[in-house]
Amino acid sequence: MKKTINIPLGSQHISLLEPVRFKFECENEKIISVDSDVGFVHRGIERACTTKFKFDAIGYVVARVCGLCAITHSLSYTAAVEKLLGGEITKKAKYLRILLLELDRIHSHMLCLSHTCENAGFEAMFMRIMGDRELVMEIQELLTGNRVQFDYINIGGVNRDINSEVAKKIIENLYEVKQRVLGYMDEFTNNWSLSLKFKGIGALSLDDAYSFNAIGPLARASGLNIDVRNEIDYLPFNEIGFKMQTQFEGDINARNIVRLNEIFNSILMCENIVNGLPEGEIFTKLKGKPNGEAIVRFEAPRGELMYYVKGNGSAMLERVRIKTPTFACIPAFTHIFVGENYADAPAILASFDPCLSCTAK
Amino acid sequence: MLTSLIKAFTNLFKKPQTIDYPVTPIIKDREYRGLIEYGEESCIYCLKCEKACPPGAILFVKTETPSENEKNKKGLQYHYNPYLCIYCSECVRACPKPDEALWQSNKKPLPATKEGKVNESWFELEKLKKTE
Repeated sequence: MKKTINIPLGSQHISLLEPVRFKFECENEKIISVDSDVGFVHRGIERACTTKFKFDAIGYVVARVCGLCAITHSLSYTAAVEKLLGGEITKKAKYLRILLLELDRIHSHMLCLSHTCENAGFEAMFMRIMGDRELVMEIQELLTGNRVQFDYINIGGVNRDINSEVAKKIIENLYEVKQRVLGYMDEFTNNWSLSLKFKGIGALSLDDAYSFNAIGPLARASGLNIDVRNEIDYLPFNEIGFKMQTQFEGDINARNIVRLNEIFNSILMCENIVNGLPEGEIFTKLKGKPNGEAIVRFEAPRGELMYYVKGNGSAMLERVRIKTPTFACIPAFTHIFVGENYADAPAILASFDPCLSCTAK
Repeated sequence: MLTSLIKAFTNLFKKPQTIDYPVTPIIKDREYRGLIEYGEESCIYCLKCEKACPPGAILFVKTETPSENEKNKKGLQYHYNPYLCIYCSECVRACPKPDEALWQSNKKPLPATKEGKVNESWFELEKLKKTE
């Protein structure tokens, strides 16, 4: 007689935020093997980029890949095209790009933390974090004119300048967010349902993180020093106080702490940018058509995002390839589940912060 | 324990975080990206906005009753689809006379209804544009 039982999680499930399917093979409560499927929200964006849209409109198309890291997608694509066109953008535009990138990281991490709370059964904390996240969304709306689809980055610079009123509001709101996040830090380290319950659950060792190619907060929680912001020189992250955040336990709690520390670091970076914004133009016109190949990497809230763009000197591109962070992390995800209890699976999955609309695109 | 009790008690008298929507209107920021508005008198019919629009929400189609603008030599008429528009304001940046011929307001589009036949009438315009 067969001793194991197959339990599916997804593609639609009460604890899932996005359509992903895991097939767990369980022996009693323990998961002994996992199979995953991610292609439920495929929209054919890569194909549309090469057949329907001209290269200067694709920045707006790829921003629709994902609602949470919209800015990273359009930034990566724009940087790749700027590489091909061979122009240099102004320092002010670079700083404004980082500002929005880091604001995006703050609210994305806050969303992930709130979902972790929800999966721990802590609804009040979930609502508190979601309410506080509005402070960041408000700044983004002031800065770009929209809450989610920013359409802020353009080939050659950014679309809008920042004025003193907005700058003041940013500093005020970020100070408020910082106070609130200090409160979360206390909850996430001392509260029973958020810290002790999560300690030792869903652990990934440093060797496994390395061999399963984990990236982003998942890898940094295991002690792997991997962050694209530290490796690229296209945007001046080191000038504005970027600091790598790592933990060594590799469990759910460590991932939460890494995210909280990254929020602090991002707030510091945003404040530095607003206080020391250089003078200058925000837009430089770049002429020509993209010809050749370019690869650009950026650190999205969930890890490394890679864009490959190939042009042939015409307005239509030959190939746009998007490699998203969640896709690269799936081998590590499936490895972490093995040996855990089935009841912990939703909490572990929420701690990965998977983004399936990015992955399936 | 005591702090949580005090918090729970004070929360009873706090205002909710949400707003009472239909009664209290949502205050939109002045710089909010909303509908694109068009001033026919100042338009020079260069069709730059039509080319710049990423989703193709602006169409200039030939009409039998063209406006009396002397720049309109081909007899075109401006059409705008707010439900296709992504409010990126690429058209306004492409326009040689921004603020006079084409500008972005902070208004929201009305909800599309079945009676309005938003899709059907737009598809017909697109077909006309292709046959030109």
